[in-house]
Amino acid sequence: MSPRVRVALLALAGLVLLPGAAEVIAGLPPFGSTIAQYGARINAITPEARHVANMVSAINFDLRGLDTLGEEFMLLAAITGTVVLLRGRRGEGTTGRAMRRPGRAVIPRSEAVVLACRIAGPLTALFGLYVVLHATVTPGGGFQGGVILASGTLLIYLGEGYAGWRDAIRSHWLDALEGGGALLFALCGLVPMLTGAAFMQNILPLGTFRDLFSGGLMLVENLGVALAVTGGFTQLFLEFMEETREADAPEEPGEESA
Amino acid sequence: MNAVTSFLPYAVAAWLFGIGLYGIATSRNFIHLVGCLGVCQSATYVLLLGLGYRWGSIAPIFYDHPPGTPAVDPVMQALVLTDIVVGATLTALLLVLTIQAYKRGGSLDPEKLRPMRAGGKSGRDPGSSRVRDPERSAP
Repeated sequence: MSPRVRVALLALAGLVLLPGAAEVIAGLPPFGSTIAQYGARINAITPEARHVANMVSAINFDLRGLDTLGEEFMLLAAITGTVVLLRGRRGEGTTGRAMRRPGRAVIPRSEAVVLACRIAGPLTALFGLYVVLHATVTPGGGFQGGVILASGTLLIYLGEGYAGWRDAIRSHWLDALEGGGALLFALCGLVPMLTGAAFMQNILPLGTFRDLFSGGLMLVENLGVALAVTGGFTQLFLEFMEETREADAPEEPGEESA
Repeated sequence: MNAVTSFLPYAVAAWLFGIGLYGIATSRNFIHLVGCLGVCQSATYVLLLGLGYRWGSIAPIFYDHPPGTPAVDPVMQALVLTDIVVGATLTALLLVLTIQAYKRGGSLDPEKLRPMRAGGKSGRDPGSSRVRDPERSAP
């Protein structure tokens, strides 16, 4: 199909859908006038019922914790797919040297970059930990903090180069982090059932409102999510970075894998 | 002002979705296509946050403000968080498939992708397909 035909088809479909979309937009409540009843009830009840200040964490880890469990496993499945597709072809060997493109000059890393990365790296990790730990009190949580922690590891690559990054980041640890985090979250659902409670019922003491240790089971689930997201995203960075690794042996043509 | 602001966020969401779709339909490069999908997805962020917003409300975090202060819809914010995580992993997975398609077919152009056959040989050899069509040089 030529590009022109495709654009014409898209425009046609858009024209057909436009009246419906306009109708829906006109039928929505005017922007900023009201919010849904469900959200309003959560805002009214949850601080009292769960002793947490952050409603978004309360929804993710308690009220709709089952959805987050599904999301967690979706994350796990997507990252597993990435690893299988990339590593299956490449194998697990390491050479410790990045690929060099012939003819392109290798510019040495400036000392200012190294220094900036060495200063910013620990600070980023600390900030990530802070965001993870304050999930139930202030804006934050396992997902956001996990991504900050994972991006902190990229500063190792920026500052120390490929060999230093490979030395610091071990794939097995990442596997354990990722799978262990998902397992911890699933156990948070299953363990309350051993005591006769419902799936993912908050059986731990809820703690004090506005305290770091508030929310009971939410803190454990948050930790599981943080582990899984940190491991998972670092694994993604690692797998993409490994694409630049110097091949162990010249590739044979027509290889059959992945 | 009120007449415009009452539907502007939804119109922005629709516009983002539309230009994302246009980019996907006319894409000549898989990486560009994944980026366009990201634009489409950002339309859902705008829509969800717009649906959950209320004038004069605080963020749904009752730390500095006592519980009972009017706050925006926390469900929508939790949904956007889910959306972002899904989007990030989906982008990663699609980029992996892009790498594989490039290794197999030797091109990032969706139009040059040929069906894979058993035996691992794609329809064309990587050498020749890297030569660009002169009439199809991307703008």
